[in-house]
Amino acid sequence: MIYQQLINGLMLGASYSLVAIGYTLIFGVLGLLYFAHGEVFMVGAFVGLYLVIHAGANIYMALLGATIATACLGVFAVFAAVRPVSKDYPLAPLISTIGLTIVLQNIATYIFGGQTVAFPETIESILFHFGPVTISSVQIFTLAVAIVLMVLLWLFIENTKMGRAIRATAENHETAALLGVNVNRVVLVTFILASAIAGIAGVLDGVKNSAISPFMGLQVAIKGLVVMLLGGLGNVRGAMVAGILLGMIEILTAAYLGSSMRDFFTFAILILILLYRPTGLFGTRTIEER
Amino acid sequence: MLDGLLDGYTRSILIFTGIHIIAAYSFYVPFKTGQVSLGQAGFMAVGAYAAGILTVKFGLPFPVGLLVGGLVTAVIGVCVGFPALRIKGIYLLLLTLAFAEIVQVVILTWEYTGGAQGFQGIPFNKYTLEYVYVIVVLLIIFFARLERSSLGRAMDSIHEDEAAAEVMGIDVVRVKLLAFGLGAFIAGLAGVLFAHHTTYVDQVSFSILLGIEILMFAVVGGCTTYWGPAVGAAVLTLLPELLRTLRDFLELVPLSWTDFFPMNRIYDFMYEFLDFENEKRLIVYGVILILMMIVRPQGLITRDTLRPLQFLQQRTGHV
Repeated sequence: MIYQQLINGLMLGASYSLVAIGYTLIFGVLGLLYFAHGEVFMVGAFVGLYLVIHAGANIYMALLGATIATACLGVFAVFAAVRPVSKDYPLAPLISTIGLTIVLQNIATYIFGGQTVAFPETIESILFHFGPVTISSVQIFTLAVAIVLMVLLWLFIENTKMGRAIRATAENHETAALLGVNVNRVVLVTFILASAIAGIAGVLDGVKNSAISPFMGLQVAIKGLVVMLLGGLGNVRGAMVAGILLGMIEILTAAYLGSSMRDFFTFAILILILLYRPTGLFGTRTIEER
Repeated sequence: MLDGLLDGYTRSILIFTGIHIIAAYSFYVPFKTGQVSLGQAGFMAVGAYAAGILTVKFGLPFPVGLLVGGLVTAVIGVCVGFPALRIKGIYLLLLTLAFAEIVQVVILTWEYTGGAQGFQGIPFNKYTLEYVYVIVVLLIIFFARLERSSLGRAMDSIHEDEAAAEVMGIDVVRVKLLAFGLGAFIAGLAGVLFAHHTTYVDQVSFSILLGIEILMFAVVGGCTTYWGPAVGAAVLTLLPELLRTLRDFLELVPLSWTDFFPMNRIYDFMYEFLDFENEKRLIVYGVILILMMIVRPQGLITRDTLRPLQFLQQRTGHV
C-alpha cells in the first residue's frame, strides 16, 4: 500500500516539479511572481488535446505541438505583459500577468466551453505488476518524459553559455548586464524555456488524468508557488526535489488522513517554511527583500 | 429608502461595488505600512462565517453580527499579523495566500456551518445598500483624517524605510500589527455585508481569486492616496457591466444611417464584435488590465491626479 502511494506521489510530484521549475527560473531572473504560469500549463494541455482530436496527432506530435505553442506564448507574454510594464512599481508586473491569466483562461473557456473535457487515450494502457505495486505504461511514460526534461534542463543551465548567463542574471541583474550579458535576451530565453516545460507538463497531466479543464491553471499555479518556496526561490534543483517531495506528502496525507486534509497540510508546511526557513528546504543563498 | 429609485439589477451592482470598495480599503491599510496581503478574502470569510453563526445559530440581529464579525476578524488578523512581522515582500504574499487557503480548508471541513454544502439560510438584510455606503463614506472620512495624523505618517514612514522609522522612535511592531488588524476588521465587515446580501456563502465565495481581485482593485486604483482603492474597485467592478451595455448603445443608431452597403457590413461586424455577454467580456477585461499597467503602473489615482482639486481644500482652510 505505502509503496503504491509513494509511486502515485512521485507521479503527482513530477508535474509539480515541472511547473515549479518554470516559476523559479522566472523568479530568479526577473524577481517576478509570474502568475500566468498555471495558465501556460493549461494552454499546453488544450493545444495537445486539440492536436490529438482534430489533427489526429499521436502523443509525440501533441507534445511537440504544445511545446512550440507554449514557447510562442512565452515570447508573447514577455512582449505583451512583462517588458512594457515599468519595473519601478513592484506590483504592476504582477497585475499585468494576472490580466494575462484572465485573458488566457477565458479564451480557453470561449473555445472549449467551461466544462471538464475528456483527454483521449493516446498511449495503450498496460499494467505492470512489481510485487505489491502496480504501474501503468502511461505513468511510466509521463515520469520518463519528466525526468528526461529535468536532466536536459539541468545540463543546459550548468553547461551552456546561455545557462551560465541565466545563472548570472539570477545572481545579480546589474552586474550581469555590466559583464556583457544581454539581460533582455536572457529574460526571453528563460520565458521560452519555462513556458515550454509548463506546456509539456500540461499535456502529460492531460494524458495521465484523461481530463482537463480551463480552470486547472489556478490550482497548479498555487501549488507551483508552494514548491518554488520549498525549494528556495530561484533554486532550480531545489524546485525539482521539492516538487516530488510535496507530491508525496500530499498523496500520503490524502491516503491516511483524508483528502480534505491535503491542502491543509500543504499550506501549514508553507507557513512553517516561511517562518523558520525562508531560504527553502535546501538552504540556498539568501534572496534580499524583493 | 432607495427602493423606489433603483431596480434590482442596478441595486445589486451598486452593493457589490460598495463591498469591493470596502474590501479594497482592507488591503490598503496594511499596504500603507508596506505589507502586501493576498489573504483579504480569507478575512472576509472569517467575518462572514462569524457573523453568520451569530445571526443564524443564535438569532442575533444584523448590527450585532456586523460588529462582532468585524471584531473577531480583527483578532484573527492580529494573530496572522504577528508571524507576518518577521517577513516581507513575496514571502508575506505567500504567507497570506497560505492563510486564505487554510481558511478554505476549514470552511470545507467544518460541519457546524454546512461544510462543503455551504452556509445556508443566512438572514437577508434589506438595508445592505445603505449599510455599505455609510461604511464607505465613514472609511473615506477615516482615511482622510488618518493621512494627516501622526499614526498615518508613521505608517507611511514604515512603508518608505522600516529601519529609519524605528530609529525615529516609531513603534514599528505596534503600528504594523494595528494596520494588519484594522485591515482584517474592514475585510470582516465586507464579508459580513456580503454574506447577509447573498444569504448563502461557501468556500467558492471567498476563493483565492477574490483575494487576487482585491489586490487588483487597490493596485489598479493606486495606493499612494486613499482615493485610489475606491476608484480602482469601482472601475474594475463596473467595467464588465459597462461592456455588457455597449451593444445597447449601438442599437440607438438610427436604421437609416446603416441601411446602405459599407455601413451595414460595419454595423453587423460591430454588433457581432460587441457581443460581450460571454467570456469575451472577461477577455477584454484582462486586456484592459494589462494596458492599464503599461500606461499607468502607479495606479489610476496618484497625488498628481488630485493636485487640480487642491484649491477646494485651500479655500476651506485644510491645507
